Amino acid sequence: MSSIDVSIVVPLYNEAESVALLHRRITDALHGSGLEYEILFVDDGSRDETLSLATNLAKEDPRLRVVEFRANYGQTPAMAAGIDLARGKIIATMDGDLQNDPSDIPRMLAEMDAETDMVVGWRKNRQDKLITRKIPSWIANRLIGKVTGVPIRDNGCSLKLYRANMIKRVPLYSEMHRFIPAMASITGARVKEVPVTHHARQFGKSKYGLSRTYKVLLDLLAIKTIIGFAQRPLLWFGLLAAPLLIAAPIFIVVSIVPLLVSDKEAILPLAGTGVLFGTLGLFLILCGAIGELVYTTGSVDLSEYSRLLAADRTPAESRRYDASVHGRV
Amino acid sequence: MPVGARVDDLPVLLAEYDEAFKAIGQPYEIIVVLDGEGQRWLEPLRSACANGLRLRVIELARRFGEAAALAAGFDAARGDVIVTLPAYYQVEPGEIAKLVAELGDGNDMLIAVRWPRVGGAFDRLRRGTFHRLFFATSGMRYRDLGCGVRVLKRPIVEEITLYGDQHRFLPALAARRGFRVREIELAQSRHDFFRGRYRLRDYLHGFLDVLTAFFLVRFTKKPLRFFGTIGFVAASLGGLYTAVLLVQRVFFSVPLADRPALLLGSLLIVLGVQTFALGLIGELIIFTHASSMKEYAVRSVIEGGTTGEANATEPSDEGPKSARTPNALRDVAGSS
Repeated sequence: MSSIDVSIVVPLYNEAESVALLHRRITDALHGSGLEYEILFVDDGSRDETLSLATNLAKEDPRLRVVEFRANYGQTPAMAAGIDLARGKIIATMDGDLQNDPSDIPRMLAEMDAETDMVVGWRKNRQDKLITRKIPSWIANRLIGKVTGVPIRDNGCSLKLYRANMIKRVPLYSEMHRFIPAMASITGARVKEVPVTHHARQFGKSKYGLSRTYKVLLDLLAIKTIIGFAQRPLLWFGLLAAPLLIAAPIFIVVSIVPLLVSDKEAILPLAGTGVLFGTLGLFLILCGAIGELVYTTGSVDLSEYSRLLAADRTPAESRRYDASVHGRV
Repeated sequence: MPVGARVDDLPVLLAEYDEAFKAIGQPYEIIVVLDGEGQRWLEPLRSACANGLRLRVIELARRFGEAAALAAGFDAARGDVIVTLPAYYQVEPGEIAKLVAELGDGNDMLIAVRWPRVGGAFDRLRRGTFHRLFFATSGMRYRDLGCGVRVLKRPIVEEITLYGDQHRFLPALAARRGFRVREIELAQSRHDFFRGRYRLRDYLHGFLDVLTAFFLVRFTKKPLRFFGTIGFVAASLGGLYTAVLLVQRVFFSVPLADRPALLLGSLLIVLGVQTFALGLIGELIIFTHASSMKEYAVRSVIEGGTTGEANATEPSDEGPKSARTPNALRDVAGSS
């Protein structure tokens, strides 16, 4: 077990103006806390001076590690890289644009007790434009909460703390960072929400706009279904196929009735529809079988997570930051 | 050098390349991979070696294709810089020195463009169409993907697995992983002309290659976005159409069950749901394999407190604490 209490992972993309200030704020916030920490700046293929500025900072600060990407891959891969390389027992992620306040981290750490695997920030007084940012985000959060069953008021806030054992095993890809609480919940992780301060953007422009709504919706659907069916694809697809497989014979029988009762012709379009539905039902069940195959060959074992988490939660070693906690055995 | 069906006089060609590499003045090795029909060259190569040519020859058990032959060569290669060569004349062997010299620190891979290029108007049209299609589907513009002369640094071959017909897209695959790939114009060999005729099958292969590139680049990360959109459009069209039919049935007493239109409507729904289900399967594959198919590539990790050693402008320099990928990542994977 490493001796580092907390690793702070910050993805940076064209944040040359912010990087020095950000580093100072993080250092100020954690220096007096008595915690062993490391800072990971992940430079996501910035086109400006971000990387060289960060590298210069690293020359002075042995606690700073700078990860240089070969190209621009996006925020989630940057976070994933930071999480992969982090050595702390707790991993904190935050934005590089100074909108998150690192001084919230010690407070959030205190909330990371034996009952909690993840502490997420909630930007209570969000400093963003109302129409283009806050309202879409409010709708999105309600939707994400409803669909994933993890009622978090602010999924978009990057300031989050995770148990390293848990987050290192959650598959993070594409633009999944928005759904990490939901992803983590399938591992049995328990989530706590803490209000955090949020500053208005000082430098640069927001890199996100309204256009991503559609992508978020599709991602949400993917997450929802994956959470629902990752472990039991056959069951999931089977339930989907059941009504079709019931409807199909009914359609076919109904279409044949005129042929049997009188000498009329069978109703061909209806019979065809029945056959189509039957085919679809069969197809879905086969998809479920393929899904089972994929899951068994894959490297994700969801039941393993809950075992690990249980082992991690038992307060075997003294954790300085949760002195106030009534231990759970 | 992968040796397949199309081969010029191999011992002569190898001797010419050998001269070219000698002229560069760096230690080198030549690895010949005999694939399928190429195996008939085993004896001639033996006698060439007896005459003083220094080669390592890998003989594949059966025909695996050029990509697999290249991969076998990469596995055996011991150099930090790897040059791939076709088993026939494409560029003047003397140009190889230029290729290696141009690689430098700023690039990870160079691919040769035969220039000036011989060939008729039809050849130009065919090549142009292929590369334009490739650009349209993958968003990457290359001028001569058919040229087998490339120079690349070791991390590329360690990171990219080649299979099928992917050798042609090696530059695109490398560029997608964040390696710096550039084209370089080399003089075309006097002997570079294809004696056969392009058959329909070759065109079909070319087209399928473009499709492969399209899928690799566009949809491997988010299958549900791709399939889901198609499925959603089809299913909602079908749903709308069926709804119209239902409204007509309920309010205007148009009989529904014996209308062929019903078939069209339900067929569209079925198609949509099937496409969507495939997208879900794709998503499940990504989800369960995400840890082994990392989306990002780290060029270097600069550890704090190394005064002056970790150089930001030349990240490929191996400072004492500046670990280079993929070793850095492997260490992490091993310790977690």
